[in-house]
Amino acid sequence: MNPLLAFLRPNAWRVFHRNLLAWKTFAWSSITINIIEPLVYFVAFGYGFGAYFSFGGQGSLLQYLGPGMLALTAVNAATFDAAWGGYERLTTNGVYESMVTAPVEPEEIAAGEYLWQAFRATLYGAIFLVVIAALGLVHSWLALLCLPVLALTGLLFAIPALYVAFIVKTPEHLFYYFALLVTPLVMFAGVFFPLDRLPRWTQYVAWATPLYHAVSACRALIAGTPSLSTLREVGWLALAIVLVVWLPQRVLRRRLSG
Amino acid sequence: MSGEEIVEATELKKDYGTVHAVRGINFHIRRQECFGFLGVNGAGKTTTMKMVYCRIGATSGKLRVVGLDAASHSAEIRRRLGVVTQANALDPELSVLENLLTYASFFDIPASRSRAKADGALALLNLSGRTGDRVRELSGGMQRRLVIAKALVTDPELLILDEPTTGLDPQARLLVWETLAALKRSGLTIVLTTHYMDEAARLCDRIAIMDEGRIFALGTPAELIAAYAAPDVLEVSGADGEALAAAAGSLLVRRERLGETDYLYTRDNGALLHALAVHGIELQRHVARPATLEDVFLNITGRELRD
Repeated sequence: MNPLLAFLRPNAWRVFHRNLLAWKTFAWSSITINIIEPLVYFVAFGYGFGAYFSFGGQGSLLQYLGPGMLALTAVNAATFDAAWGGYERLTTNGVYESMVTAPVEPEEIAAGEYLWQAFRATLYGAIFLVVIAALGLVHSWLALLCLPVLALTGLLFAIPALYVAFIVKTPEHLFYYFALLVTPLVMFAGVFFPLDRLPRWTQYVAWATPLYHAVSACRALIAGTPSLSTLREVGWLALAIVLVVWLPQRVLRRRLSG
Repeated sequence: MSGEEIVEATELKKDYGTVHAVRGINFHIRRQECFGFLGVNGAGKTTTMKMVYCRIGATSGKLRVVGLDAASHSAEIRRRLGVVTQANALDPELSVLENLLTYASFFDIPASRSRAKADGALALLNLSGRTGDRVRELSGGMQRRLVIAKALVTDPELLILDEPTTGLDPQARLLVWETLAALKRSGLTIVLTTHYMDEAARLCDRIAIMDEGRIFALGTPAELIAAYAAPDVLEVSGADGEALAAAAGSLLVRRERLGETDYLYTRDNGALLHALAVHGIELQRHVARPATLEDVFLNITGRELRD
């Protein structure tokens, strides 16, 4: 089954709906945790460090951090549930096992997970956007266009997280994935500090990280100054998705038919 | 292809690497019968079931289910089956009702109809009134009944149950048995695996005895007992087997020894006891009983059915 066509299958949306049902019982605690944590970092870094560092001509640190933390919130909302949730649904909770006794294909299950994680990224991002708008840090209605960017970003982070969740032997291995891959990528993505004063290699690293492109696009949209390069950032995200989208689908088929 | 047969397996094989889980088995399952696979853990029962409900493909051989080739029509076959797997079959994050409705949705059953079907299945399994409960709030017996309700919510042509009562207490087992017996009476075709002799004898019209990936015997319980045991069996502990056999003479159909116990198979225990008494043999400890599937199993595989 074509990995991109799987999105259009009714079963993908039924898997999405299953996740929505499971989520709604603990929605409030999930939202609280996923918003409060980045908000604490945001305020502590923004006001705390911001008071000590001048931010040469680029506005306040709080102002700088807003779009970065927005994208990071979306990434975390999608990545953690993809990794731990995906692992549980495949193994301990047997959710996928049950689905494949029905006429459901593994590709459709993966596509349903993609839709779900993109939705989580968008929803949690939207809430964070409302918060920073209330703090007076949003300057344009174009900021609403961040939401589709966040959907793509969440999806792009969820795909490798699901892939890892589907191949690890124990859930502890997921920690390696976060510590060795996700965290470093987040640090050099221009979320917390600009990269233009750092050595040149950091900018190459940044260009290779998905979050850098998401943050750049969100920054331009929130400032109300999108350009052709904003479109290029979104194109980067979309292309990366197309390149990796089949990975979890393939490994899930192997896991659910062997 | 006769419409009477709902599952047909020919030289069906399944290898996992170098492990031969199923080593070329043949069986036919007829519509409206209850067919059982009996064997110890590791005999190949679950692997066979997984091939029938298209969870795994066969290494070789032919398998037709509801008239379709399992190798090429997996989704169509799954659409027409109800499956009760051994574990992990319920979604712990969903309520009882959500479990059924979500599962039904995968069969293209519109939400307007699936609610009525779910209510019907829950009523049939005495679970009405638990619709809003989380799965973990249910007892083990209730959970097993819910898995059966879930398998029935899609109106299957064939109900497959992999060890439906393993791990249940006697009361919960009885309830599951009664439900399955009622479903069979209503005309549903049922295939189950079990390692309980009494379960197989009680529920199944025909039984395949599996061991080490092969079917060693297949037939009705009465046929199996006639072929591999005898109507009666006399269990004698701590006696001289040779002397017993000599005294029993032609009354003895077959003798097996397991540990300290001799199993004397005969057509009539009364006559055998009389003959032993006439020869002056005093039995210390003995049990005279009709032969069961347990004897068949013992005689075929040469070992006790444990676990």
